[in-house]
Amino acid sequence: MSRRIIIAVALLWLGALALRADDSIEVQRPLSIMFMTDVGHASVLDSYLTPITYDGVDLRLSFDAMRACGNHNNWARQLNVAVQYDNVENNVGNNTMHNLAAQARWGMMRRWDDVTPAHLRFMVGPMAQLRGGAIYNPANSNNVVSIKGHASVGVTGMAVYNTHLAHRPLTLSYQLTMPVLGVFISPEYDESFYEIYLRDYRNITYVGGWGNRFDMENLLAADLRLGGTILRLGYRCCIERSWVSNINTHITTHSLVIGVGAELFTRRLSSSSSPACVSPLYHSDL
Amino acid sequence: MKKLPVILGLLLTMLAFTACHDQPQWNDDPYGNFDALWTILDEHYPFFEYKDVDWEQVRVAYRAKISPKMTTTELFDLCGAMLKELRDGHVNLIASHDVSRYWIWEQYPVNYDERLVDEHYLHFDYRRASGIKYQILPNNFGYMYYGSFSSSVGEGNLDLVLNYLSTCDGLIIDVRSNGGGYLTNVEKFVGRFIEQSLHAGSIQHKTGPGHDELSKPYEYYFEPTKNHIHYLKPVVVLANRGSFSATNNFVSIMKQLPQVTIVGDTTGGGCGLPFTSELPNGWNVRFSASPIRDADGNLTEYGVAPDVRVDLTDADRLAGRDTYIDAACEILAKQTTK
Repeated sequence: MSRRIIIAVALLWLGALALRADDSIEVQRPLSIMFMTDVGHASVLDSYLTPITYDGVDLRLSFDAMRACGNHNNWARQLNVAVQYDNVENNVGNNTMHNLAAQARWGMMRRWDDVTPAHLRFMVGPMAQLRGGAIYNPANSNNVVSIKGHASVGVTGMAVYNTHLAHRPLTLSYQLTMPVLGVFISPEYDESFYEIYLRDYRNITYVGGWGNRFDMENLLAADLRLGGTILRLGYRCCIERSWVSNINTHITTHSLVIGVGAELFTRRLSSSSSPACVSPLYHSDL
Repeated sequence: MKKLPVILGLLLTMLAFTACHDQPQWNDDPYGNFDALWTILDEHYPFFEYKDVDWEQVRVAYRAKISPKMTTTELFDLCGAMLKELRDGHVNLIASHDVSRYWIWEQYPVNYDERLVDEHYLHFDYRRASGIKYQILPNNFGYMYYGSFSSSVGEGNLDLVLNYLSTCDGLIIDVRSNGGGYLTNVEKFVGRFIEQSLHAGSIQHKTGPGHDELSKPYEYYFEPTKNHIHYLKPVVVLANRGSFSATNNFVSIMKQLPQVTIVGDTTGGGCGLPFTSELPNGWNVRFSASPIRDADGNLTEYGVAPDVRVDLTDADRLAGRDTYIDAACEILAKQTTK
């Protein structure tokens, strides 16, 4: 178990290192990292498993890293990885389903500072996302699990407003992420995974566009900086819809987000040198 | 031109809603639960035409018997009676107080008595591994009883069993009253009795809610298990009406093999791979969703006929004779003396 944790931390660190590339002496581009825990409500419908919508608890652990691009201070890179688990039950309470998913997203956003009103900045850009998981219904027979896999490209955008609360820097942000086009897997209407196990791979891969698949993630966050630590309080709403092979999937979550983060500098800031600092989220001297 | 982004935005938004498909909702009352059950079967059951069932007529006949004040038990019995119209052992309505079923084998002679075999043929001296009871009979024929394809069997277990039985002149595989289980275990067993790739049959599935929306059959093959012990001498498989579902599939595949003889009664059938769904009141409904055909393209929903028909009477039982095993030994004796 501890080995897995070490590997996970190492992977996160490698992801963060990837965002560190192109550092320069003149400009500091701190790496903003945030570890988040979500707790909220999940609503899950997957008609491959049951025509009944299940409701319950949504849990998510995620890591987010963001940094201004070297030589292109108006651009920022973002890496996000998350693991999500939903424990949901039917309306009469005699069956529980489990939805487990993991995702990794990489985005690059163009930044516009001081858009009216002052201190408001916008960022918009492309993103690529991998998402996979499974919904497990222990009451079922040969349709006991619905496996999910989705690779997509889309857009992500942020609105950021920096202000103060009790003389502490406070950053309010809203981020919207929407896959637009991708590839995803799904069995056909009543196709069993036993048939797929027998190597019948016909019609299990689909091109996903807004005609058959719609995903959206909204994150509203308030980040309060206390010294070198950043505390986040937020709300996340995720919507996942698909309609393919007459299989209907609706997954919606509304969650409270609590996060702890920091800004990591490549070298200590000193008052004598006063290097310029570019942070996509929290402040910018350029 | 300035309106172009707005128009594009509106079009994309409209397109996004096409992925949002409304799911039919039923009330949790007698009518709602009945309609949910009928609709689930209507949209997913693949054998209406094969069994010549007019499902709409069934709906009209049974829905007329519903009253808003009927009890849960009355509704369950009514729904269970409706499901029996499908004549399918894989169709069950499962509630906390009962399971409705159409187990046709209950109406046929059992043709199997475990005590009879244990006492008069194994003399209470047998080996047991992963749900397999096995022993070498005095006439040097191997005997193995496998009571459920749900019992986990490892390749190592099969190696040990077949290694022990490898010196036998022939083998009896008894799957009487084996109600089925995992099809992956069928593949595991069959792989020990073949030397080359075997066309096992074909599988289909519903591709949509229409009664005739079925996929093109997918032909599937079993391969000999590599680097493990095989048994290629004469084999007799014993089956009865209780040999259902995965066991029915096992018998239909083994029947193709030249060294295998099927002895006993017609199997219980059940060639539809079952799926499960749910009603608003929490009852589960299991139903055949994916027809599996034999290598000749036939549905074995009503069973696989034996090569040699045998019955086990009460008189045989009282005399301490299992006519199935006796017949198997006779067949193996003839084959091994050729």
